[in-house]
Amino acid sequence: MSQLAPQTAPVPDLELVQVSKMFGDFLAVDTVDLSVAPGEFVAIMGPSGCGKTTLLRILAGLESVTYGQVKIRGRDVSAVPVNRRTTRLVWQNYALFPHLDVAGNIAFGLTLGRHDKAAVAGKVAQMGALVGLDDFMTRPIGQLSGGQKQRVALARALVTEPDILLLDEPLSALDAHLRIRMQAELRRIQQQLGMAFIYVTHNQHEAFSMADRVAVMNRGRIEQLDTPEVLYATPKTEFVARFVGSNNILPGTLAGYDGDVAVVTCAHGPVRVADAQGLAAGTRVVVAIAAEKLRRGLRAGDNTVPAVMRGREFAGSHNVFLMDLADGTEIKVVSHDGAIPDYGAEERLCFAPEDASLIRGAK
Amino acid sequence: MKRNAWIGLGRLWLGLAYAFMFLPLVVLILFSLQANRFPGFPLQGWTLQWYARLFDDGTLIAALGHTMIVSPAAASVATIIAFLAGYALNRFTFPGKTALLGLVTLPIIIPPLILGVGFLGLLARIHLSGTLLAVFLTHVVLITAPALAIIQLRLSQMPKALEEAAWDLGASEWQAVRRVVLPFALPGILGAWLLAFTFSFDEFIIAWFVSGFDQTLPVAIYSVLVAAIDPSLNAIGTIVFAMSCAVLIALEVLLIPYLIRKPDA
Amino acid sequence: MKTPNDSPIKLLFLAPLVIWIGVMFLAPLLFLLWVGFWHIEAYRAVPGFSLTNYAEIFSSFFTGSRYGWALLQSLWVAGTTAILATAFAYATALALAFAVPPRLQRAALLFAIVPFWSSYVLRLYAWQTILSGNGVINSLLKQAGLSWKFEVIYTQIATRIGLVHYLAPILIVILYVSVLSIDRVLIEAARELGCTRWQVFTRLIFPLSRFGLLTAGSFAVIVSLGDALSGNLLGGGAGQSILGKLPTYASMIMSDYSSATNLPRTSALATILIVVMVAALVAGVALATAARRKVSQ
Repeated sequence: MSQLAPQTAPVPDLELVQVSKMFGDFLAVDTVDLSVAPGEFVAIMGPSGCGKTTLLRILAGLESVTYGQVKIRGRDVSAVPVNRRTTRLVWQNYALFPHLDVAGNIAFGLTLGRHDKAAVAGKVAQMGALVGLDDFMTRPIGQLSGGQKQRVALARALVTEPDILLLDEPLSALDAHLRIRMQAELRRIQQQLGMAFIYVTHNQHEAFSMADRVAVMNRGRIEQLDTPEVLYATPKTEFVARFVGSNNILPGTLAGYDGDVAVVTCAHGPVRVADAQGLAAGTRVVVAIAAEKLRRGLRAGDNTVPAVMRGREFAGSHNVFLMDLADGTEIKVVSHDGAIPDYGAEERLCFAPEDASLIRGAK
Repeated sequence: MKRNAWIGLGRLWLGLAYAFMFLPLVVLILFSLQANRFPGFPLQGWTLQWYARLFDDGTLIAALGHTMIVSPAAASVATIIAFLAGYALNRFTFPGKTALLGLVTLPIIIPPLILGVGFLGLLARIHLSGTLLAVFLTHVVLITAPALAIIQLRLSQMPKALEEAAWDLGASEWQAVRRVVLPFALPGILGAWLLAFTFSFDEFIIAWFVSGFDQTLPVAIYSVLVAAIDPSLNAIGTIVFAMSCAVLIALEVLLIPYLIRKPDA
Repeated sequence: MKTPNDSPIKLLFLAPLVIWIGVMFLAPLLFLLWVGFWHIEAYRAVPGFSLTNYAEIFSSFFTGSRYGWALLQSLWVAGTTAILATAFAYATALALAFAVPPRLQRAALLFAIVPFWSSYVLRLYAWQTILSGNGVINSLLKQAGLSWKFEVIYTQIATRIGLVHYLAPILIVILYVSVLSIDRVLIEAARELGCTRWQVFTRLIFPLSRFGLLTAGSFAVIVSLGDALSGNLLGGGAGQSILGKLPTYASMIMSDYSSATNLPRTSALATILIVVMVAALVAGVALATAARRKVSQ
C-alpha cells in the first residue's frame, strides 16, 4: 500500500454485477458486468437475439435476474419491482396509451399518486416544450406521426425525472432522414439533462453517433465495451470485427513476430499486421481490415492480396466493390476514383500493416 | 361478360337470402298491425287492437319485465367475470391453462337442454328452482363463454408493452388495470355485454326448465303459443324487434369493427 | 423478485370464473349424471344407485316409447339441417365477400344477420303463421286461384326451416370471416396462372375455407341436436320425415319431463344424449384428422 488512497470515484449511475438470465434452459444474458458513469450515454449493440433487449428489461425491472445484482446509484434494486424502480423505458413501438391525448400520456406517470394538478400541468407543459410538442398537447395519439409519437414516449418517460433512461431501439420505426435528426435531438436532450441513457440498438450508426461508450453483445455476453473510436479501430474479438464497421476478415494462422509486426499465414500467402499482443505462433487468428483501408495501388511495405472483381454498389460519392479471394472469402473495397474493374478481372489489393488489426480467432 | 354473370348470380342469391331471412320479421310486423285473427291474406285492415290487448292482458308485458330484470343483471355479472378472467388468461401463464380454456367453452358445446335438466335437478335440491334468481344464476354461466370470447379477442389486440409501460411509469398492477387495460378493453366489454344480453334475452330451454310462475319472455310466449294462435304475439314480437334494433345499432357501432377486421388492417 | 407472471391478481381474477363454472356448470352436469341413477318411489326421486331408468329406457328403445327412433330422427334431422344451413350460409358468405363492393360489405353482412336479434321463439311463431295450412303462403296461393297447398307444417321439413333460419346468421358470420381471411393476392395469382373463376373456387377458395365449413357444420349439428323448439312448434312434436312420424330426441326429453316429471328418467335420457354427442364429436375429430392427413400426403 505504497500509493495514496485514490480519490473516491463517483458512485456509478448503474452497475451490473455478474448479471445472468435464464429462460428455461436458454441463457439469454450471460454474466454481464457493466458500470455506467453519471450522465453517461451507453449504447448496447448486437444482432437480434443477442440478449440486449432482455438486458434492458432486466434494468427496467420487467424481467428478474437469475443470478447477479443490478445497482442503481449504488443501491441494489434486483428485488425492486418495476413500478418502484427509478428507471424509465422508451419502447420500440412507443407503447403510448391510445385512449389518452398527448398531455394525458405525458402526465400519466405524475398522476399515479397524490399530486397537485397545477404542478403536473406545469411539468407536462415544460416537458412538451423540451421535446418540441407544445402545439400538439391535446392531439389524440392516433393522429400523430411516427416522430411525434417518439417525442411523446420520450417526454412521458423524462417528465418523471428518472435516474436512468432506457431506450429500446427507439428510432427503428422512423424513416432514415428523421432518424438522423432524432439522433441529434436525443443527444442534445441527454446532455441538457445530464441523465444516463442506456440505448439498445442493432444499428451501429446510431450507436456510434450518440454514445459515449458502446457495448457489443453476442450470445448474451458483452464482447467489447469501448468508445466508438476504439471499438472501430481495434475490435477485440472476431465477432466485434465482423459486426462493427465494414471490416474485412482474413482468417489465418500466426507464423510469428518480426519486431512488432505479426506475420500471419493466410490462404493466399503471408500477411503482415502491426500487433503488440505477443500471441504464440500457431494461434488461429483473423486479420481485420476496414473496407476504406484497402487500396488498389501498391506502396512500399504494403501487403498485397489477389482478388477477383464480382460486383459493385454505387453509393454516390464512392463505389463499393465486392471481390472474392482465392479461398472464396468475400472482400469489400471502398473506392473513390472513377475506375471500375471489369467483372471477373483479377485485381491486387493492398493495405499497410498498421491499418489492419490482429484478433485471436473464435474457438 | 363472364365477370358480370358470377357477380350477378351472387347478388341474386343474396337477394333471395335476404328474403328468406326477413320473411318472418315482415310477417310479424305486418300482422301485428292487421285486423286478421289468423295471419293470412286477404288483409283485413290496419289496427292497433293487438297492442291494446297485449297491454290489457299484461302477461307478456310482465314476462318482458322479468326478462328485463334477469338479462341485464346476468349480462353484467357475466361480463365482469369475463373481463377479470379474460385479463388473467391474456396476461398470465399457469399450469392447466389449456384445460381451463377448454372447460370455459364447454357451456357453448353442451346443449342448453342438457344443462336445463341438470340445473333443474340441482336447483330443486337447494330450493332455488322456480325463481327468477335460478334463471339468473344459470344464464350467467351460459353467457359468460361468449362474453369471454369477445373480451379475449379485444385484449389479444392490446400490445403487452402498453401495460408494461404503465408499470414502468410507476403504476401498480391495479392502477394499470384501471387506467390502461380497462379503457383499452372498453369496446370489447360493451360488445360482450350486448352479446351476453342478447343470448340471455333469447334463451328459452333453460328458463323453461328452471323458471316457475315468474316466466321469462320466451317461456311466456311459448306458453301462449302452444295454447293458441294469438295475434298479440305479433305485437310483442314487433316490440321486441324494435328493442333489438336499438341494441343492434349499438352493436354495429361497438362490436362489429373489432370482430371482422382484416388481419392487415 | 416478482416477475409479471406472479401476482395476487392471477388467482383473484380467475377465481370468479372458476367458481361460477364449477358451481353452476360442472356441479349440475355431474349432478345430472348422478340423478340418472336415482329412482322414483311414491312420486319422489330417491337418491341411490339403480339402473332402473336405463333398463326402462333400453328395454323399449326401438319399440314402445321409441327413444331409439327419436334419437335416429334427431341425428337425421340434425345432420341434414347442418348440411343445408352450412350450404346456405356459405353461399351467402361468398356472395357477400365477392359480389358486394367492399365499402358496402359490412352493412350487407349486418343486414343479413338482423334476424339473430329477434327472439327465436317469435321467429318460430312467425314461421308457423307463414307455413300453416291456412297461413300466409297458402292463403296467398288461394288468392291466386291455385288449389295446390304448400303443406310442410308439422313435418320435419318445417323443423329444418326453423333451424336453418335460426342458425344462418351465426354460420354466415363464421363463414364470412373465414372467406375474408383468404388472401386476395392468392386469388389474383391463381387467375393470373390461368384459372377460370370456377377453378379459383374449387382449387383455392373451397379448400381454404374447409376449416370454417367444418366449424360451422359441427356447430350446426350440435345446436340442432339440442334444439327442441323448432321440432315442437314447426315439427308439431312428432313431425313426418322419411323415418316416419317421430319426435326428435330433444322434443322427447322435454315432453317426457312435462308429462311425467320423472327427473331421474329425464336425466338418464339427457345423459344418453351427452354420450351420443361425445361419440359424434370424437368421430368428427377422427374424420377431420384423417382428411387432413390425406391432404398433407
